Amino acid sequence: MSTIASLYAEATGWIFEHALQPLLYALELMDWAEDAYAWLDFALFGLFGIAVAWAVCRPLEAWRPVESVSQHGAVRTDMLYTFLNRLGVLPLLAFVFLASVQAAWEGWLTEAGLLPPTLEELAPLLRDHPVLAFAAYVVVLDFGEYWRHRAQHAFRWWWALHAIHHAQRQMTFWTDDRNHVLDDIIAAVWFGGIALLIGVPPGQFPAVVLILRLAESLSHANVRLDYGRLGERLLVSPRFHRLHHAPLSAGAHGRNYAVLLPIWDWIFGTGDFRRGVFPPTGAPEEPEALASGGWLRQQAIGLRRMVGAIGGR
Amino acid sequence: MMRRAQSALFFGLAGLLPALAVPSSARADLVYVLNSADASISVLESTTKEEVRRIPVLREAHHLILTPERGELMVGDSGGNELIFIDPATAEVTRREKFSNPYHMELSPDGKLLVVTSLRRDQVDIYDAATRTLLARLKVPDKPSHLAYTPDSRIAFVTLQGVRKLMAIDLVTYKPLWTAEVGPQPAGVTWHNGRLLVGVMGSDHVAVVNPADGKVERTIFAGRGAHTVFPSPDRKLLYVNSRVDSRITVLDGETLEPRAHWDLPGGPDCIAFDPRGRLWVTLRWTGRLAIVDPASGEWETVPVGRSPHGVFVQPRAAPLPPLAVSETAPPAEVTPSPTSAGTEVAVPAQQPAVWRRMLGR
Repeated sequence: MSTIASLYAEATGWIFEHALQPLLYALELMDWAEDAYAWLDFALFGLFGIAVAWAVCRPLEAWRPVESVSQHGAVRTDMLYTFLNRLGVLPLLAFVFLASVQAAWEGWLTEAGLLPPTLEELAPLLRDHPVLAFAAYVVVLDFGEYWRHRAQHAFRWWWALHAIHHAQRQMTFWTDDRNHVLDDIIAAVWFGGIALLIGVPPGQFPAVVLILRLAESLSHANVRLDYGRLGERLLVSPRFHRLHHAPLSAGAHGRNYAVLLPIWDWIFGTGDFRRGVFPPTGAPEEPEALASGGWLRQQAIGLRRMVGAIGGR
Repeated sequence: MMRRAQSALFFGLAGLLPALAVPSSARADLVYVLNSADASISVLESTTKEEVRRIPVLREAHHLILTPERGELMVGDSGGNELIFIDPATAEVTRREKFSNPYHMELSPDGKLLVVTSLRRDQVDIYDAATRTLLARLKVPDKPSHLAYTPDSRIAFVTLQGVRKLMAIDLVTYKPLWTAEVGPQPAGVTWHNGRLLVGVMGSDHVAVVNPADGKVERTIFAGRGAHTVFPSPDRKLLYVNSRVDSRITVLDGETLEPRAHWDLPGGPDCIAFDPRGRLWVTLRWTGRLAIVDPASGEWETVPVGRSPHGVFVQPRAAPLPPLAVSETAPPAEVTPSPTSAGTEVAVPAQQPAVWRRMLGR
């Protein structure tokens, strides 16, 4: 393990010293060096996440596909979404934006005589058990994701953006990142905001993202797979999430919103635990371009529909 | 009887063996390294260069100093809003104290004041050093980074990394005296022979600044990304680290003329000196610590945690005894820092009680 950590440190150090830092120096942005170094983890974890998702999901999809892939163009569009999203451009913007917000927020708090908390302060047991602390952060963030997802379906303007994700009729593990850019930004602010509020250690943040992203990729995979009677209650499976993508589940009538832990759907009465059900996916009431159009077209339509929803049209 | 005498002699000699095996000049200094991106402190033994302790911190530790009475190491966890106190001789965490965003901190030369920069909050805090009572909080322009004092402890100087400036703060009135432009992204600032030496990280030089008015009198080339100037213990030499060209430049302490430079890949940052005069240098981007022989400039590196920043060497003659795993866990008790004595200044952040109430619902 220490060898892997050393190799990773050497590799990131080399990339930073020979590529990123000279760029920062040339742009007179050396005061952002430490932030850029932290961001490098995001980008590398993003690439690593794609590689792991591919290595895990692709054999599964080949083994027991729910349906044969006939719309290759739509899958290619999803791949473009994935690379744009996970190479870290959006996380970088969110990171820079949130770092500034965090500074202002914490400055305001200290002026008011408060110090931002961490979960370890509220539960001292976590301080001595980093793995437990890490798990606690994952659970809290996953809970936040459940409610964000519900909001995406509940508000008309937000559904106008999120419908891009649901319009895919050829769902594969690449589909996870098929989102409107605005939707991604809101998600990053939401997720990062909660992370800052509960004080997720910056060093753990990429790992938390990696785990949630891998779970999401797997849950979108085109594979006839459920985790058994007990497992279905513990972890979101491809079956569980496919049901969420079924046409009858679109919009405000959604089921199975959880990202990692189905317990939230269980608690709040939105879970559908019927095993063996693998319905077709898509959102037939939405414009066809959201399913089969290119990236730019989908973005434009999503934006137009969101503005329309806000304007009451 | 004879057998017992022989046994006694055998065990007596055996007891002497460890002492005989270790030359009297051998040392086992402890080297403390703050792994800023790993939420931990590595403790290395200088002889074996092996990590003998790993102390967890909450979030992001950057700098450390000795307490005014010099009995404890005070580590600032800026992300965790904590001070961690460590017995430097034993590497044991003695206590923790809530504290607002301690990034760089230094005691005034007379030991009475503790000035702390909060890089991400654009604040400079002035505390009573002994009680850590907040005396003043100054809202300053973007990214207050490092600080230094005049020898008479009357003025503190703070680099403002985001606005190319250096600020002088009167430690009697707690008001800024002047703010002057010194170059892009100034980082470290060091008082030396009546002048301030500022590492201009966005450029390739050290700026020699007049402390009376902040005027840059001359510049000294030190390689791109010049960061901080560290005087040798006898102040005859100055070591300048440069992040982008990744090197240490050796300056003559009297003339400030360059004498040598050593390429040191990995982004050299803080420097500490051991009793033998060797330099222990954190390498921010490769997660390693370099040990540099100042006579030859030769160096070797050992692994530590991610993005190592502050470093401190505690002289120690004997190796640290082995540690039980359970001892690595620090005490969980956190003591609130003392309340502010100032009336015109905002009360410093103290405790998460309100959060406990809010989140406890």
